[in-house]
Amino acid sequence: MFKRLDNAAPAAMVTIWLEGQPHSVPATLSAAAAVLWLVGATGYRDHAAGGHRAPLCMMGVCHDCLITIDGQPNRQGCLVPVAEGMRLERQRRPA
Amino acid sequence: MSDASTHHADVAIIGAGPAGMAAASRLAEAGQVPVVFDLAPSPGGQIYRQLTAPQLGEDVMGRDYLRGRRLLERFERARIDYRPGSRVWWAKREGQGTTLGVLADRRSESWQVRRLIIASGAMERGWPFPGWQLPGVMQAGAGQILLKQGALIPDVPPVLAGTGPLLYLLAWQYLRAGCPPRLILDAAPRSRYATMLRRPLSTWHGRHYLLKGLGMLTTLRRAGVKVVHGIEGLRAEGNPHLQAVHYRRAGRWQSVDASMLLTHFGVVPEPQLSRGLGLPFDWHPSQQAFVPHREEASLAAAPGIWLTGDGAGIGGALNAEREGHLAALSILAAKGEPVENERTPLVQARRRELSARALLEALFRVPDGWLAAQPETTLVCRCEAVSLGELDAAMAQGAAGPGQLKAFTRCGMGPCQGRLCGESVTRLLAGHLGTTMNAAGYYQVRPPLHSITLGELADSAAPPAP
Repeated sequence: MFKRLDNAAPAAMVTIWLEGQPHSVPATLSAAAAVLWLVGATGYRDHAAGGHRAPLCMMGVCHDCLITIDGQPNRQGCLVPVAEGMRLERQRRPA
Repeated sequence: MSDASTHHADVAIIGAGPAGMAAASRLAEAGQVPVVFDLAPSPGGQIYRQLTAPQLGEDVMGRDYLRGRRLLERFERARIDYRPGSRVWWAKREGQGTTLGVLADRRSESWQVRRLIIASGAMERGWPFPGWQLPGVMQAGAGQILLKQGALIPDVPPVLAGTGPLLYLLAWQYLRAGCPPRLILDAAPRSRYATMLRRPLSTWHGRHYLLKGLGMLTTLRRAGVKVVHGIEGLRAEGNPHLQAVHYRRAGRWQSVDASMLLTHFGVVPEPQLSRGLGLPFDWHPSQQAFVPHREEASLAAAPGIWLTGDGAGIGGALNAEREGHLAALSILAAKGEPVENERTPLVQARRRELSARALLEALFRVPDGWLAAQPETTLVCRCEAVSLGELDAAMAQGAAGPGQLKAFTRCGMGPCQGRLCGESVTRLLAGHLGTTMNAAGYYQVRPPLHSITLGELADSAAPPAP
């Protein structure tokens, strides 16, 4: 869905864990941005009322970026910068 | 409420965008040490996000982004009690100042401040259309944030839709980054440009914006990017991800395959803090937004409270910087410093800027009849998944105000706290009751002003009085 431009300034990379899988991501990203970059918007979050959601605003307003960070559910993924060893779990209904 | 665990500050500034940075820097240069609370991990606000370590250069981002460096460096040099990653989640006017509840590192502290400068900025307008909740649909501002934060661009050409300068800026930036948009759907009819002839003074004052816009449009056209003007309707479709965008023009629906749709229907002041403090707002018919009252000369909204930047009315980054500067001068003047010579050019520049804004507002008006024309299944409140039809039914049953609509339908009760549906609810009520936006009213905003978890509350160092 998103790709990183080749001519981007070099960024420090950190390793985060998305559903138990390690990924190297630029340290400048928020948790939500990292998920969009790694796996796209599909499957980001299931809404309690049914239907699928993904971040809309990326600036702390919409709350459609809610994600489990280091075991804590419903964190605003767009406001939390990635950090070395961070564990992310998308909030989805079991298939 | 004041105890050992309460922190004190003479001046607190909320927001580290252009307004907050300018206010803080100027106060610091006069020997004050303001405390600055900001949501983001680094200063700059939305406009200068990531400018502390830019991911991309002027060739992609444009000149206006890099321009913020001067202000950023000034802010970083100054002696300021800067607290990034802070959420001001409650605020109360008390006696000679304001008490704030500030959450940082998952702990809450209370702060008693004598003078408060609010510089909390703007947000993108919530603008319902069928399918706006689908993965693959984002606001244009989100696209820009990803670009600034990590040099991320769409891996397939996106569709851009809506109206406003940001739509074309993002299109231009994507083009420069090697990913030209597939299609731009502009909700403004082409005839709108005749507005310029009717407002020659505003056009003159706004000539820099107009030339910049014209330059971007020319570049996009030359690159073969198709622009459709005057779209009347928009629909996003797909499951579990966006597959197609439908748009109506001249009464006829057309479709385009797309996996990404970025929309922009203008920016509006982010209202939570000012409303939470009980400051009065009025509907601004030209900005098409609720804006808080403030005194024009001093930018004060109440004793000890100043409102600056886009959170007080959309004026753009340069205007925000000037307003932050002016608020600082207002505080310094009260402390007996001579500031008049410094003030005059700022006031003049601000007046010219506001004249230019009037033109931009006219050029990029959002269509007032849009919401009422949407199908009844369209979600108005995304958080609680409340549709237009449910709101219509509640109004037919007698819900006569935003508070009642909330109680009837749960609209506005979710974690965004009504920020994305508030304007829509007022628009619906005004239409249903045949009254003005002001008379229809807005949600009562109460703490928490930001969503916080029970765990964060439990960890609070100093829990606030109810």
